Amino acid sequence: MSQIVDTLEALLFVADQPATIKSLAGAMQVTEGQVEQGLEVLEARLEERGSLRLTKLAGGYQLATKPEFAAVIAAFLKPQRHRLSKSLMEVLAIVAYQQPITLSELEQVRGVQSDYSVRSLVERKLIAEVGRKPVPGRPVLYGTTQEFLHQFKINDLKDLPEIDPERDDAADIVAKTLFDD
Amino acid sequence: MAPRQQLAERNSISSLGVIAPPPIHVTTPTFDGSLAMLFQCVRDHKVHLLDVPLFPICEAYFFYLVNLDEADLDEAAAALTALAYLIERKAWMLLPVPDPEPELDEPLELPTPTAHEYETAIESLRIWHEERSQIFFRSVEAGPDPYELPVSLDNVSPGDLAKALEKLLRRAKPESIKPLGKPRKSLSEQMRIVLQTLSEDWRHLEDMIEEPFTRYEAVYWFLALLELIRLGQAAVRVEGEDVVFARASRNSTPVPATAE
Repeated sequence: MSQIVDTLEALLFVADQPATIKSLAGAMQVTEGQVEQGLEVLEARLEERGSLRLTKLAGGYQLATKPEFAAVIAAFLKPQRHRLSKSLMEVLAIVAYQQPITLSELEQVRGVQSDYSVRSLVERKLIAEVGRKPVPGRPVLYGTTQEFLHQFKINDLKDLPEIDPERDDAADIVAKTLFDD
Repeated sequence: MAPRQQLAERNSISSLGVIAPPPIHVTTPTFDGSLAMLFQCVRDHKVHLLDVPLFPICEAYFFYLVNLDEADLDEAAAALTALAYLIERKAWMLLPVPDPEPELDEPLELPTPTAHEYETAIESLRIWHEERSQIFFRSVEAGPDPYELPVSLDNVSPGDLAKALEKLLRRAKPESIKPLGKPRKSLSEQMRIVLQTLSEDWRHLEDMIEEPFTRYEAVYWFLALLELIRLGQAAVRVEGEDVVFARASRNSTPVPATAE
């Protein structure tokens, strides 16, 4: 097992994107079960010591630095962090939950024009064209990308939090006040 | 003309502030009385106008006009106003009744779920994004610089080429307005022209183009030249502060026939 764990660590060290269990098993010529066990051991070992940890995201595994080193790494790399505005985040959330979704459907949910936000998210590679809807005009369907999962440290779209349609927030209260009489 | 005061005394003023119509008597199967009374009853919803035929009333009005001994246009106008009101009212009543609008007793149907229901999700995504910014991964190798030249031009930079284009554009003449739909010159045609103009001697771009030329032609010249450089059929080098061009010594790649 120690050999498998060391090999996994080596493979994950050189991987520049999340590696799936299947791809790791294929490269190492071992079973997927052995890889899963090896990853568990590696995860525990990395948590105990060192500056790296095993991260599960975008359907695979990747080595990442521990958060406590964030400040010093940021000072070293000087990364350009692009914050997402509230409107971009809203569009991204709607696409993530309703995908595949057309621009007009998205605008129907938001109630405002959203073409700029969509274009901006496409440029950031967080969403992408995933096809065309078989209706007149064949509008483009948008969906989230692997980069979205990576950027938000999400392993699978199923891990997104559930949205609560019964949420009694301000808009609901206004609607009730207006229409309940 | 009678003074205003005399008129006011002679003509009674109605509750609407207009002169009351003359005592034209109308007799219909459903109403018998004066025009003023009919007007009052209709206005107060005491008589259903649809049941009152207006033809006999109009006849009575014409009879009144024809037999008017003393011309009193104010009274005649008041009668006409009352009659017009009745006709208009009845005309509206005869129009088809539109379907009643649905009462808004329930909220309008909104797409489900609406944007505000994503608030929790948006907040979660924001937190995750923040957490993600605290960890670092092995970075992917940077892609090609979008401004990188596709071929090596030794010491010629994109800035040098841009400067040559700017210099050329400054000498371009204003473009005349042309009708839409004019066929566009293809880039391959322009490349052939440029190739014929290029020689073994190094020349500035503006020395190769025959004046006068428009901005459109200048851009076409420049694009054709860039494409020829990319294909290895033209050469460029820096001379002083400018770039100069010449025909390349090797001539391996032909000009494509369909380049646009």
